Amino acid sequence: MFHRILIANRGEIAIRVMRACREAGIETVAVYSEADARAPHVAGADHAVCIGPPPSRESYLNITRIVDAARSTHADAVHPGYGFLAENAAFARAVEEGGLVFIGPSADAIAAMGDKPLARRTVAAAGVPVAPADEDPPREPAQLTAAARRLGYPLLIKAAAGGGGKGMRIVRSEADLPDAFAAAAREALGAFGDDRLFLERYIERPRHVEVQILADHHGHTVHLGERECSVQRRHQKIIEETPSPAVDPALRTQMTDAAIAVARTVGYRNAGTVEFLLAPDGRFYFLEMNTRLQVEHPITELVTGVDIVQAQLRIAAGERLWLRQTDIVSRGHAIECRICAEDPAQQFLPSPGTILHLREPQGPGIRVDSGIAAGFEVPLHYDPLLAKLIVWAETREAARRRMIAALRNYAILGCTTGIPFSLDVLEHPAFVHGDTHTHFIGDHFPTWLGRETHRNIAAIAAAIDLLRAPHATPHEPTQSTSPWATLGSWRLGQS
Amino acid sequence: MRLHLRHKQQHFAVDVEPVGTGYRMVIDGVPYAVEAHLTDGGTLALIVDGRHFQIGLARKGRERLVAINGETYTFVSEAGATAAHSMAIVAPPEIVAPMPGKVLKVLVHPGDHVAAGDGLVILEAMKMENRLIADSAATVVEARVTDGQMVEGGQVLVVLSYDKPEAS
Repeated sequence: MFHRILIANRGEIAIRVMRACREAGIETVAVYSEADARAPHVAGADHAVCIGPPPSRESYLNITRIVDAARSTHADAVHPGYGFLAENAAFARAVEEGGLVFIGPSADAIAAMGDKPLARRTVAAAGVPVAPADEDPPREPAQLTAAARRLGYPLLIKAAAGGGGKGMRIVRSEADLPDAFAAAAREALGAFGDDRLFLERYIERPRHVEVQILADHHGHTVHLGERECSVQRRHQKIIEETPSPAVDPALRTQMTDAAIAVARTVGYRNAGTVEFLLAPDGRFYFLEMNTRLQVEHPITELVTGVDIVQAQLRIAAGERLWLRQTDIVSRGHAIECRICAEDPAQQFLPSPGTILHLREPQGPGIRVDSGIAAGFEVPLHYDPLLAKLIVWAETREAARRRMIAALRNYAILGCTTGIPFSLDVLEHPAFVHGDTHTHFIGDHFPTWLGRETHRNIAAIAAAIDLLRAPHATPHEPTQSTSPWATLGSWRLGQS
Repeated sequence: MRLHLRHKQQHFAVDVEPVGTGYRMVIDGVPYAVEAHLTDGGTLALIVDGRHFQIGLARKGRERLVAINGETYTFVSEAGATAAHSMAIVAPPEIVAPMPGKVLKVLVHPGDHVAAGDGLVILEAMKMENRLIADSAATVVEARVTDGQMVEGGQVLVVLSYDKPEAS
């Protein structure tokens, strides 16, 4: 096993990985930008190295600085987390060339799945369903129009180097094609430095269903079941659950078989996720493979009992898979809500700020993977994800109710978060019925102005605060770890 | 007394009256029986008409932030805003009691130099301890009250001489 691991990431995922390292008796090295000097992931590491100024390009995306930090601290492996350099083949290569172990797949597997048309061809050759597409459409307008007509509308323009919804356009009619194509090309060039596009038949109202796999260096691959991540805004997930309400055992077998076939065909090793679109008619199509740990991995951990990050470390250390497929049994239901510093009433625009008050929910079946603490100034340079709230219960309905109760006990003041919006989603009849698809938010919440069911009680609380201190002297940032402990002291005060 | 609060574009006039160990508050003609206890710096155990709420509180500039049952609110005291505003402009040298109460402790002596935010007097009013502070750096000219003294609303407690005129 490793002696010391550098985590090339920040926020909640860096802390999540450090937890796994500590449990395995492995020392941790954090890296941080100048904006993150006081970040919880730095305080929580055994060692920490500043790798540059706040912009990601100069710090968390700086391959040379990170590899140097790993070598100078005598780390023997690097965990990339998700985002930043996690799916960068050049980074994986640089880590290996620096004499360190990259905790993830080979650079070749990352590259094979990073090029979307190549990935499509590769998995199609392995018999995995893909949506009809034109993988290299002509650029000349008349020829492009003809190619699009052959494929049929509605269609999706996607970036070959793509991901995250950048360079993506839905086209419903021929008249819209030229402008949409040109705009997508510009966006793709800006985001990836690569303006190659391809056309794909657009699947209406799909669910996003993905399969978690684990593969060792000895040819063994298992799956850990599926996750449904259909509730999305700006093409990014905000609520995930497992199992999917739309997947029955027969479909699960088909989808997990397909996922394992995808992994095998690229010689995949370590943890990975194969994403599919599930159409309303029950057919599914390969979307892409994420060659890294996913944000939403905890829901799979809660239903299977498998610690996916621990598994990543053991696999990277060369251990043979200790799990057979029959050992992996999913039990109950898990839901995750991403807690982001953003304002759902303002098109989910990021809303950074200083955390002035923090109280996290606790209780049976509740897990909080957090990257913040009271007093921390959330930098505006990075992803607005602050924390993830994950719950487990025996049934979907029990998990939904547990999530609602936990969200109501989650207090974050200082920056706007999506907590009240998540509550409205969880209480929506369509969500209650498991009737979710990737346009769920656009269809059910075209405008959302806020959730204010306790206005007068809140005004009473503000009045009490004004009585206590008519002049606005700031509180020290506060963090309550146990709501029951504070309730206890209240009772003492009254008796 | 009446407090004026604003949250977004909504105005709340809250009438407050101490009753027993708590308060009677009236908003839009609706009366509420209120008990409150601060359990730590930012968590308020609030009981309204017998119902318990656990409230998160924070302050940001003049804003009073409230977290309740997964919802958040940002209140500004409108009357307070006017007072704070005028104070910033004319910087009145007299620190007055905002409401009737009892001086628990005078924290300064004549000749003391204080910085913005330093405490001057702790006043118990409406069963709450209020720490009255200096709005900007100043020298204490006079303390007109002593520990334990009962004072009226508007009564001058401390007289300051500000270091320089307020810029804003």
